[in-house]
Amino acid sequence: MRCRTHAGLLALLLIGHMAAAADAGTLARLRARGTLRWGGDIQGGEPYVYQDPQDGARLIGFEVEIAEALAQRLGVHAEFVQNDWQNLVPSLERGDFDVILNGLEVTDARRDRVAFSRPYYAFTETLVVRREAPFHDLAGLRGQRVGTLNGSLAYDLLTAAAGIEVVLYEGVQEPYLDLEQGRLAGVVLDNIIANRYGLVRPTLRAAATVGNGFYAAAVRRDDSELLQAVDGALAAMQQDGALRSILTRWGLWDDRQAPASDLPRTTTTPEPPHPRTLTQLPLFLRGAGFTVVISALAMALAIIGGLALSLAGRYGGVLPRALSGVYIEVFRGTPVLLQLYVLYYGLAPILTLNAFTAAVLGLGMNYAAYEAELYRAGLQAVPVGQSEAALALGMSRRLALRRIVLPQALRVALPGIANDFIALLKDSSLVSVITVVELTKQMTITAVDVRGWLGPGILCAALYLALSYPLSRLARWLERRLAPA
Amino acid sequence: MNSPAVVTVRALRTRLGAEEVLRGIDFSVDRGEVVALIGPSGGGKTTLLRALNYLTPFTTGEVAIAGLRLRPGMSERTDAAALRAVRQRAGMVFQAFHLFPHLTALGNVMEAPRHVLGLDPDAACARARALLERVGLGGHAQAYPHTLSGGQQQRVAIARALAMEPEVLLLDEPTSALDRRLVGEVLAVVADLAAQGQTMVIATHELAFARRVAHHVLVLAAGQIVESGRPEDVLDHPQSAATRALLSLE
Repeated sequence: MRCRTHAGLLALLLIGHMAAAADAGTLARLRARGTLRWGGDIQGGEPYVYQDPQDGARLIGFEVEIAEALAQRLGVHAEFVQNDWQNLVPSLERGDFDVILNGLEVTDARRDRVAFSRPYYAFTETLVVRREAPFHDLAGLRGQRVGTLNGSLAYDLLTAAAGIEVVLYEGVQEPYLDLEQGRLAGVVLDNIIANRYGLVRPTLRAAATVGNGFYAAAVRRDDSELLQAVDGALAAMQQDGALRSILTRWGLWDDRQAPASDLPRTTTTPEPPHPRTLTQLPLFLRGAGFTVVISALAMALAIIGGLALSLAGRYGGVLPRALSGVYIEVFRGTPVLLQLYVLYYGLAPILTLNAFTAAVLGLGMNYAAYEAELYRAGLQAVPVGQSEAALALGMSRRLALRRIVLPQALRVALPGIANDFIALLKDSSLVSVITVVELTKQMTITAVDVRGWLGPGILCAALYLALSYPLSRLARWLERRLAPA
Repeated sequence: MNSPAVVTVRALRTRLGAEEVLRGIDFSVDRGEVVALIGPSGGGKTTLLRALNYLTPFTTGEVAIAGLRLRPGMSERTDAAALRAVRQRAGMVFQAFHLFPHLTALGNVMEAPRHVLGLDPDAACARARALLERVGLGGHAQAYPHTLSGGQQQRVAIARALAMEPEVLLLDEPTSALDRRLVGEVLAVVADLAAQGQTMVIATHELAFARRVAHHVLVLAAGQIVESGRPEDVLDHPQSAATRALLSLE
């Protein structure tokens, strides 16, 4: 009894202590911790937040300076937290950091999720096209492919403009690269990005300003105390010119950056549809279709290519043998993500593949290296007596290989190949980096649209399982069926 | 000798690594003749048989099968056609059978007539069925090798070799891998072939069988033919120490 009482008391004390800490509010916790944790994505690049080219360990950018000035006014130090840009809001809600400060555009849709501070920058959306292209507004781009970043205000603008095929990118360089290569008809992004990454290319020009808006800091909706503090600090920075001097230093000051008091707290942006996950089912099925088609074509390529590689490695002359060995080591020893980037972006000036072809080729060439190793193991497993018996019957080496050795080697390799197909099905999600919208990419797009990961995640997982489960049953069956007799 | 020699071997030497395995072999086999190759293990019997269809290359000397010559230094790559021509005329039966596990008994026997000789499927199938009947396995045509006993597998292997209608059949210790009780069925098939005039060279430890079936016995020891002659002469009146040692082991 005594023990229980003590335990109960202790529990009560603990709960009371925690409640007290929560009551203390964000500001008190910030000051106790000594840091303002702010979230951003260094992949957004110069001039937002990025690694100092002179010192990779140091972060620089106009938002770094704003964050430091903000923190200083709150009496703490700024601490940067790296986070994938399109997931800054969910991460903020999870409590990974206190504030988002990373080119987050003020939109009505986001206002449902976060509390925005007063803006610190007024931007425009710039449509960039190739110099010789006839386009001068979004309406003219009907039926064309236009690139932007997932989850951006520009994405909302483009989806609201009917008839445009929106192509999503992860980084700010790649859309302009693809525009130059003719894979896109236009790119719509914030003017800061357009000026630094698009319009520096002589082949491109700004066609129109198609929207405008504001960057603001964002905190959790229930965090009114921090919001007030951030607002106060930003207002002070606007009043005393600190903000202006930061923006000027980074070449970002322009006429739109009106006197502080005039910066509105809200903006009018197209309210994007607020879909539910299930209404997106057709899009998911389309994504799953892409996943299946890309995986199947890549696997076919890998099966044929792998066979050629393993035969060259085993029966070829000195040169084919060496080439096959190098190929296998290079493709197995480097990430498939890197290979996809090189194939799609790196080779673009010489060989401009469309995204679908690059996806199939990239995955197929990567998996060919793995299949070659499976064939090699299969070929090694066939006893030398088998080919001797075939030769002794008067078969040519080629015939002996085709009729006697390969069928047996394939039986050894087949369960492994089926397993690799399952792995490929999932690896195919990597092709989203070269703008293919397959199942996983569709999931991330929907997750941004419906502002939640759980529903889309479960739907996406269910579709992957529906695809891979039959394959894994097939692999098991093959293993049993082809077990060495 | 009024019938032409099917196999001629002259001054055959071969080395495996540093060791000279065959040290000057001369003999010939006439059409319809059965030659038994006996001798201690490691004496070179298997190497000699494999040299006859060039599965093991030889260093010097010459082999002729049905008039087709094999020379030292031939290569699987550059002399492929010549080697195929010889191998199609010299059937091989291995100690460990080496049946093709992914094919049925019928498939094993049909394979070479179908794909080497280019017979149409019906003709190849008819030939294969007849051969399986001949080795007593007409009822096992659709069986896969792993469902057959060792003796049955070796009989399929013999049928497979015969399907190419070889001038000479080379048998490398065809019963050494078998249980005692399965040896008889295989030897019966071989004896039957001998009775029908099939030219054969048989490496064997079965001396009683050699005496009964062979026309000629070669004793191979340490890479040389130490004694040769009719079975009754060699086995009843051995001249060499090696033969006497071999016989005393029995």
